[in-house]
Amino acid sequence: MIPNWMNQADVQPCHCSTVSHGKKGFVGKTIDGILGFLDEAFLSETFSRRPGLLQSLDPRAKLVSILALIFATSLIGDLRVLVFIYALTLLLSYQSKINIGFFVKRVWLFIPIFAGIIALPMIFNIFLPGDPLYIVAYLGAGAHLGPFSLPDSIFITRQGTMAAIIFTVRVAACVSAVVLLFLTTPQQILFKSLRTVGVPKIYVLTLQMAYRYIFLLMDMVREMYVAKKARTIRSRGIMDDQKWVGGRIGYTLVRSLSMSEKVHMAMMSRGFSGEVHIMQEFKMTNRDYLYGALAISISLVLVMISQNIIRV
Amino acid sequence: METLFDLKNVSYSYVGKINALKDVTLKINRGEQVSIIGSNGCGKSTLLAILDGLVYPTSGQFYAFGNLVNEDAFDAIADNEFRTYFRTKVGFVFQNSDVQLFCPTVYEEIAFGPLQLNLSAEEVRSRVEDVLEMMQIAKLRDRSPHTLSGGEKKKVCIATVLVNNPDVLLLDEPSAGLDPRTQLWLVDLLVELGRAGKTVITATHDLEIIDQISKRAIIMGEDHQVKMDHDSKSVLSNYELLLSANLVHEHTHLHGKMVHEHLHFHGKAHEHHFDKDKN
Repeated sequence: MIPNWMNQADVQPCHCSTVSHGKKGFVGKTIDGILGFLDEAFLSETFSRRPGLLQSLDPRAKLVSILALIFATSLIGDLRVLVFIYALTLLLSYQSKINIGFFVKRVWLFIPIFAGIIALPMIFNIFLPGDPLYIVAYLGAGAHLGPFSLPDSIFITRQGTMAAIIFTVRVAACVSAVVLLFLTTPQQILFKSLRTVGVPKIYVLTLQMAYRYIFLLMDMVREMYVAKKARTIRSRGIMDDQKWVGGRIGYTLVRSLSMSEKVHMAMMSRGFSGEVHIMQEFKMTNRDYLYGALAISISLVLVMISQNIIRV
Repeated sequence: METLFDLKNVSYSYVGKINALKDVTLKINRGEQVSIIGSNGCGKSTLLAILDGLVYPTSGQFYAFGNLVNEDAFDAIADNEFRTYFRTKVGFVFQNSDVQLFCPTVYEEIAFGPLQLNLSAEEVRSRVEDVLEMMQIAKLRDRSPHTLSGGEKKKVCIATVLVNNPDVLLLDEPSAGLDPRTQLWLVDLLVELGRAGKTVITATHDLEIIDQISKRAIIMGEDHQVKMDHDSKSVLSNYELLLSANLVHEHTHLHGKMVHEHLHFHGKAHEHHFDKDKN
């Protein structure tokens, strides 16, 4: 059956040795990133199963409480109150048996990207006038940048710095609240509880399915890379790798489209007719009502503080 | 006989928590035909992935051809002599055919490997034609891999690996999803490759093909450890062991190479052939 050239095995021992130490290729690094994401998702799931304060609450009470807190926080302009809210989220994370270091890292990883870029220009007198705190450059009279005229000197303002700090702490407090919600609630239950705030059923179902298939597609991408690695004898150039990645992106799209058709057919064969029915298994207890009322009360007080009805 | 693969206390866990292999120590010699058997999720595929240098032990060491296989050497951009040698000598047929096929046509798919071996264009063409004929897939040459049936994809996958003429062949569940005729054809192919001196390592839970394709069988337990490493015949005749590794059901019976199940009725004692055979 087998051709002659295959009908023999090389019995010479290997005379080469492992010597190379070098950088990983961009495809390998991307796959590491994917595995890192899966790792983190797995870790998040373990937090949601711990016997902590927020984990024990009904997800609907939790969702409404966190949304109320975020709404109130977004109205607050007093730094001390914002720091108090941030400290409150840290306390809640401790009470929910979430590693504080992990929690703080997870929140502050995104703050410089999202809030920092917006807040940074605020500190300069070009955008917000104010009292000088630190002079960055002296330009002299009549300075201009293209059609825009510039002030005599560029400096960091006291008011601008305060506004940037307030903005950043506000974002940190809000992001912390959302991260707390995600870490203490299993994804599927979280999506289901979105129904309580009026998100239509079809969106909830789509979210649930999308979340599930992200993992499936990631696993497929990881397997494709590993299979390519198994068949790559010599390192190929970066252009070749880029071509391969391009081809695989197209293939993944074709696969995901065909998979979505099959999933839809499987749903239809099990009685799906466009109307979504989701099992509601949540049960509110007195404790959930109590915590919900407490969170809404705190939020109301915060709103009153923001409107100067209560002075601190 | 020269040792090709040497695993020393190898463990592997996914995302640092889910164990796939636990403290596995074994050697595989040149020219051996070995089956790795075990129930679903016992770590067979992970063991094969380690043997192919695709993932690396979380703890323990894996030596191939006398060299330590690690991430530094195998995942670096820069070429190294040993990795090239390893990839030339070892071929891996994946369980999921879809992930292994990435070229626009079957012909290009099969030519991908030999083109990296620095063979002349004529030699590549000749090898591809030989393999197309051997695998009986010549009529699929211009088809796109994703339009093929499951069995056809599996044949193309095997072709893409064999065309490089590897000395070591790793196969993950090669008979899964194949029709009986193609399964028999595959068994004949693996037997012939074994006779040609190739090292063939097959992960499977298809008990019927084990003593045809291998002389040695390694049973992986559900605790992700090696339960038994012995000659295929004695492993297959150890019914209690197969039962404890979840490879057979209490109503499964082995008669030499034959494996079959009996209909049974609840509430009525079932007469076991195995007990009879023992007596």
